[in-house]
Amino acid sequence: MTWQTFLFIALAGGAFGYSGYRFSLLFRMMKAHQGKGPKLDRIPERIATTLLNVLGQQAVLRKKAIGIAHTTIFWGFIIITLGTLEQFATTIYEPLNFEFIGQAPYRALIFTQDLFTFGILLALGYASYRRFVVRPEGLGKSTDANLVILITGTLMVSILLMNAFHILGTQPWFKDSLPVSNFLSEKLAALGLSQEGNHALALVFKWIHMVLVLGFAVYIPSSKHLHIVAAGPNTFLKKLDRPKGMKSINFEDESIQQYGTAKITDLSWKDTLDYYSCTECGRCQDLCPAWNTQKPLSPKALILDLKDNMYRNKDKILAGKIDEVSAVIDQNVTEDVIWACTSCRACEIACPVFIEHTDKIFDVRRNLVMMESKFPAEVQTVFKNLETNASPWAFSASDRANWAEGLNIKTMAENPTVDVLLWVGCAGSFDDRNKKVLRAFTSLLKKSGTSFAILGNEEQCTGDSARRIGNEYLFQTLAKANIETLNRYNVKRIVTACPHCFNTIKNEYKDFGGQYEVFHHSEFVAKLISEGKIKPSKGIEESVTFHDSCYLGRWNGIYDEPRDTLKSLPGIRLVEMKSHHDQSMCCGAGGGRMWMEETIGKRVNITRTEQALETKAGVVASSCPFCMTMLSDGVKSKEMQDKVRVMDIAELIDQSVT
Amino acid sequence: MNIYVCIKQVPDTETKIKVSGDGNWIDTAGIKWILSPYDEFAVEEALRLKEKNPGSTVTAISAGPARVVDAIRTALAMGADNGIHVEIPETADSNLAAKALAGALKKEAKVDIVFSGKEAIDDGAAQGSQLIAEYFGIPYVTVVLNAEYSASSVKCKREVEGGAFEMIEVQLPALIAAQKGMNEPRYASLPNIMKAKKKEVKALKMADVGASESDQKIRFKNFQLPPPKQAGKKISGDPAAQAKELVRLLHEEAKVI
Repeated sequence: MTWQTFLFIALAGGAFGYSGYRFSLLFRMMKAHQGKGPKLDRIPERIATTLLNVLGQQAVLRKKAIGIAHTTIFWGFIIITLGTLEQFATTIYEPLNFEFIGQAPYRALIFTQDLFTFGILLALGYASYRRFVVRPEGLGKSTDANLVILITGTLMVSILLMNAFHILGTQPWFKDSLPVSNFLSEKLAALGLSQEGNHALALVFKWIHMVLVLGFAVYIPSSKHLHIVAAGPNTFLKKLDRPKGMKSINFEDESIQQYGTAKITDLSWKDTLDYYSCTECGRCQDLCPAWNTQKPLSPKALILDLKDNMYRNKDKILAGKIDEVSAVIDQNVTEDVIWACTSCRACEIACPVFIEHTDKIFDVRRNLVMMESKFPAEVQTVFKNLETNASPWAFSASDRANWAEGLNIKTMAENPTVDVLLWVGCAGSFDDRNKKVLRAFTSLLKKSGTSFAILGNEEQCTGDSARRIGNEYLFQTLAKANIETLNRYNVKRIVTACPHCFNTIKNEYKDFGGQYEVFHHSEFVAKLISEGKIKPSKGIEESVTFHDSCYLGRWNGIYDEPRDTLKSLPGIRLVEMKSHHDQSMCCGAGGGRMWMEETIGKRVNITRTEQALETKAGVVASSCPFCMTMLSDGVKSKEMQDKVRVMDIAELIDQSVT
Repeated sequence: MNIYVCIKQVPDTETKIKVSGDGNWIDTAGIKWILSPYDEFAVEEALRLKEKNPGSTVTAISAGPARVVDAIRTALAMGADNGIHVEIPETADSNLAAKALAGALKKEAKVDIVFSGKEAIDDGAAQGSQLIAEYFGIPYVTVVLNAEYSASSVKCKREVEGGAFEMIEVQLPALIAAQKGMNEPRYASLPNIMKAKKKEVKALKMADVGASESDQKIRFKNFQLPPPKQAGKKISGDPAAQAKELVRLLHEEAKVI
């Protein structure tokens, strides 16, 4: 026991005590949230995901260079923390070093620590270069980040210097296992310090290191560096279902008085964990179609602004005065921010710590729409059309099957024993361009000998747009009516050419008693080709670029089937746009944006069309009626309609199958 | 203030109208019924007036068969406080409906102002508002685009032929018939929809309001659909021949010149 023991215990007690208190506040704020958090099921799967992404850094490593730098820092942090613990232990009681594990293991331990200390310095060097020289837009400026880099760097340098002076002072038996420190000590020998001098400096750097570690413990709860605590649990709690649907509201439950999020505490504790996990890397923002077309929405800023709103309401939340918590819509999270989202999910796919942005936006929309009737004015017509005629467009429900006139397509009422129901969707029924897609697809179905029928006038809008816009009540009305019809005909298999209908029926109807095997037409056509039921034979000597639909790709993980389908066309040259697969850019129509005016910034569809035109492809292939509309409009605005055709994959295949 | 809105339930604008079997009415099977759009402006105007005058109540009144209660519920969901339904036959004319609605208004303790749409989009007769006001004995202003309310009168800007406007100040109580553009009707919030489902709608019979079958002045029969739209004709040839052919067609086929 020395003065060092007492000093350390006093400092550590203070630091950990204060840090613990700060963490308890964060935890209490989390618990005060009233929304429904995720269910803890499928534990083995969760453990696997967590191991893969925390220890394996899988999602982080999707960006190569900075991913490797982060992985080095992450693993270094784990290994070096063992050394820090050893420092703490020996300060409290000197003989408490970790040499008891045996000479060889001890050598291995400190060898790795020494290498990682140097490795972290290299990684920090790269991170600083990136932050201060390359300056990626999504990263932004952050004093917090600069401070974290500075502290971490100082920590590493202090370890190396501590070890180097320790080597000079005592020549320990393990000095050969500290290559970097040993090398440094050889250089520092030139200083010609006495043994006592070296001893003293080793002690000074040890204390510098320990004090900084304790300081870090105090700093973390109020820093973005909080992610080192929160990101692990957040990964463990992530939604496992991809494909995923939106969470439902039980309107039968009369105890629910508030639909959606009006104030921050209406969100759930898991949303809080999302804020705690965010380390402001900006990967979400980089891919956001709203941000990239000058809309006020940045998914990164959204998370930080929600966190900021929570902190502003901290006292009220902690005092349990939930009623006094201010509105979630504030000077940062404006209504324009909330309506700018196309729900393309690029942000969620990009996030290395699995923050779920879209559910928060959807929940704020639910409050705006259902509680406050606040939404872009043009949407009211869409709601009214859906309410009276079950279609977002103003067409009579009795005209729904008109597109099929003369095609000799049976309805379920006429032939309820078919193998598969063709879900036409509102675009296929009422939009002239997309009616042609349906004609091509039904032509393919007939050529393949598939036994199919449609619901005809009994079909209603699936409710996708209503739900994404926030009108859960209207969505459920439509969904329940459709499920009633589908179940009445005992429908088992459904195929649709609309990814929005596909996602809704496949992933969301099961919450209301609708369980079906659902295919997107790209999957179905791919299957027909692989089974030899149709054979594309007529070549198309054309280069084609495929535009990924968000609800097919990111929401349902279907990237290959449409491409495989296209590749089966003789003579085709498939070229990719600069962003594709899960990095693809939205056409701008998702999340109900199809029905809203786009008045801020550049149009999303124009930006995406420009990417398509850059490929010089003669055909832009789409697999979604909304994408079809947006890209066709884009090509027309660019006055390229004579050179570039926008076509659905079904149309291309149908031309090729004779 | 005691604010009243007279509303009508009409077939949705996208309805494909079919003539009933006997040819004397339309076939109502499968029709989606909505609150007539002009009446929506009236309900909205009533609600805005109520919001400016705390303590006011808005009562929606509709005359028609049992189905029209749904239209009253729509008004309640938008924010009206009370609903009154006067049951009259499906095939009633404007006069009978106006007599019934005015009769219902007479049963109310105090009526400060009545709103209605300038016309219903089904028969487009545009006389209900005037008849109601006449039977109830108050002045009316129709086709109103804008209204400024004071304690005892309303200044109305109304549309007249030729794109001109007329300013009329009318003493209360009065009936104001709304034109499109008077306001943007609100979308009912979900809590209000839920509350509207539980609100009681007062049910009256014709006899309760001093109306009877004999108030129907028009009997409807022999309904016919307009002739189906012909496909467009393209006139070709040199300009002089085209002009000649066009004149001939307008004169002989379309018979407009």
